[in-house]
Amino acid sequence: MSEEYQIPEGLYYTEEHEWAKKVEDGTVLVGVSDYAQKQLHEIVYVELPEVSSEFGRMESIGAVESVKAVTDMFTPVGGTVVEVNDALIDSPELINEDPYGEGWIAKIEPKDLDSDLAKLMDAEAYREHVAAQEH
Amino acid sequence: MGSGLGFKRTQLYAYHKEHGKIVDFGGFEMPVWFEGVIPEHHAVRNAVGIFDTSHMGRTMAEGRDAEKFLSYVVTNDISALEPMNGLYTVMCNPKGGIVDDLIIYKLAADRFFIVYNASNREKDFAWLKGHSEGFDVSLREVSDEVAMIAVQGPRAEETVQKICTEPVSEVGRFQLARVHLSGFDAMMARTGYTGEDGFELFLLDTPLESPEKALKVWNDLLKAGEEFGIKPCGLGARDSLRLEAGLCLYGNDIDEETNPLEARLRWVVKFKKPGDFIGKDALLKVREEGVERTRVGIIMEERGIPRHGYEIWDGDEEIGVLTSGGLSPTLGVGIAMGYVPRGYRKRGTPVRIRIRKRFAKGKIVKSHPFYDESKYGWKRDRI
Repeated sequence: MSEEYQIPEGLYYTEEHEWAKKVEDGTVLVGVSDYAQKQLHEIVYVELPEVSSEFGRMESIGAVESVKAVTDMFTPVGGTVVEVNDALIDSPELINEDPYGEGWIAKIEPKDLDSDLAKLMDAEAYREHVAAQEH
Repeated sequence: MGSGLGFKRTQLYAYHKEHGKIVDFGGFEMPVWFEGVIPEHHAVRNAVGIFDTSHMGRTMAEGRDAEKFLSYVVTNDISALEPMNGLYTVMCNPKGGIVDDLIIYKLAADRFFIVYNASNREKDFAWLKGHSEGFDVSLREVSDEVAMIAVQGPRAEETVQKICTEPVSEVGRFQLARVHLSGFDAMMARTGYTGEDGFELFLLDTPLESPEKALKVWNDLLKAGEEFGIKPCGLGARDSLRLEAGLCLYGNDIDEETNPLEARLRWVVKFKKPGDFIGKDALLKVREEGVERTRVGIIMEERGIPRHGYEIWDGDEEIGVLTSGGLSPTLGVGIAMGYVPRGYRKRGTPVRIRIRKRFAKGKIVKSHPFYDESKYGWKRDRI
């Protein structure tokens, strides 16, 4: 089976397959990529961080679980969690269905945004990273 | 056959490669799922599914002393077995630890067919061989010459009948029959690892180099079961189904450090059978002194998925570790197996499972099976 992966432009990506997206109000949405959700396959449980907790860049803020596996969710940017996607509690499959939209995991008030973003990949670099993992 | 990295493949690899998600399992490239663990799991509980189990170990034991020899290496009573019947058993080391769990089929008075875990292929054959000295028995490993397919679920009988020349309904639980499947010579047993009614098919003379017959039977089964909603199933569903059924997985729930009494497999240890068997003295001592810990089932009462290796707590005290766990697709909650001190085995006893940084409540239940047996499994009221 070979897979195609959605990798939208304008987002920032980690090597561990998380994404970050800047929002107008200065906050950042984070989640896991299409590649990550396809590798996990059927996502059945998401452990969300607590609102107002603080995390450094690439610290584990929670976990995404499929039937077979557990994977840590590392935040691509450090800061304070201002909102979590409560819909995932009852519908973790939203991450499978819409990883960059309805399947977002947390909203972060960043601490050092520019420096954190500089360490992430753009869509083109991430596309190459995913292609390299496939072989 | 096998890839450059030294992985082994089964006769059905070409199908898996095209349709499934392949993972390494005990050195074999096997499908973990085709469509997904959950739909495949439901297909087996509600209709029928097929599994490639050709990676399992299979050995023929023949000779005048074959029965005497097997009786010495396993704990169950082989002498009680009628021809063309099988039984579940374990074999133990001298300390009473479980070397493997297996099924032994009696083909004739001096001929037995042994089926054991894929991960123990080399170990078990060496163990059997190593203890056969002094017995008139010859052991022949046939794992790579006999493809094996499990057909499981309440529609398994109807599905298999469509490709089988002989009447399938006459084969009782744990019975074995010589049959023709898609016209090919085969053996068929009414056994499985899902808790459901079903069959394990042994396709004779299907060596790895010529997989055509095995692929034909596999595809014929998929066609035969189409009207029931049959699905090819991977190792993911095999694991979730056996866990729901409360069946042990070797290497997780039982191993060489675990004895069958604490594993709640006392029913396969026949102390009164004729002759000695390996581990008997150690197990008699365990019986006399009582087990220190015991295998239990745990069902979650709070959100969270219990998994292998997670700690079991009572209040502020760690009392044990989970040996298997996961989400039960049938019940929609987390279920697990693990070992706790004897005093905790009472049904309904509350425990807490440590899931990463937090604790989630659960309770101890009878470990086999987790589902309502009037609705699911081979004992269910007919559908």
